[in-house]
Amino acid sequence: MTTYTHVEGLPHDEHDHGGHEHHGPPEPHYSSRIAPSVLGMFLFIGSEIMLFGAFFTAYFFIRVVNGVPWPTPPYHLPVYVAFINTCILVTSSFTMHWALQSVKRGNPWGLRAGLLLTFLMGLTFLITQAREYSRVGFAPKDGAFATIFYCLTGLHGAHVFIGLSILLFMTIRAFRGHFSPEHHHGVEIGGIYWHFVDVMWIVVFTTVYVL
Amino acid sequence: MRNPLRSEAEAFRFLLVVIVGAVIVVVCAYANEWLGVAAAVVVIAGIAWWLSHAPR
Repeated sequence: MTTYTHVEGLPHDEHDHGGHEHHGPPEPHYSSRIAPSVLGMFLFIGSEIMLFGAFFTAYFFIRVVNGVPWPTPPYHLPVYVAFINTCILVTSSFTMHWALQSVKRGNPWGLRAGLLLTFLMGLTFLITQAREYSRVGFAPKDGAFATIFYCLTGLHGAHVFIGLSILLFMTIRAFRGHFSPEHHHGVEIGGIYWHFVDVMWIVVFTTVYVL
Repeated sequence: MRNPLRSEAEAFRFLLVVIVGAVIVVVCAYANEWLGVAAAVVVIAGIAWWLSHAPR
């Protein structure tokens, strides 16, 4: 189906019933019954599931099929610090939720405080994670266990870094007064991403550190 | 069907469900290894069921 505009020299659309001139760019052509935003979201989820799934497959293969002790002696995982870090990250999701509820209720200072707290807690999580890397006592080259540990936590850390970058822009925009109860789509999208990062950490923490 | 990425509120609700599910799996796994595996299967199935049912 062609969707050209009613312009001299270009073919007319078969649905272009006479009399109505269309100005501007041509109408987008949808080849699917799924809305583009929904399709994009499904593709994003699919790509993330495949990405994390590849690393989790390697993790389960090493641990269950190969029967490698977890963590391989004489190494120990910093479970207590990771638990505190988990609490910090989960709390940051609550402040993120509070920030969005605040902007919906027309409370700009609640939004600003919520976003700032979320950013600071996310930064604390990332710094603590980096600090633990330097103290954990093994490197990615020290066997399959160490490699998959760094791959899974590092992949999640990369997602946290992206989330922090988004949060930084959101916070700056919030302090500049760019969001209102009617227009806060930027906070909504960033919030969804932040919760997604949190969900992934719950899975990583549970499988890698606790079980 | 629920879409956990439809809105921030839905994503937050999904996070809470995942936390509860993870706690159940960890507690069961500490009691017995195979009970933990069974709990993980039940929790994943439960979350899938929860996602497939839209709120009224």
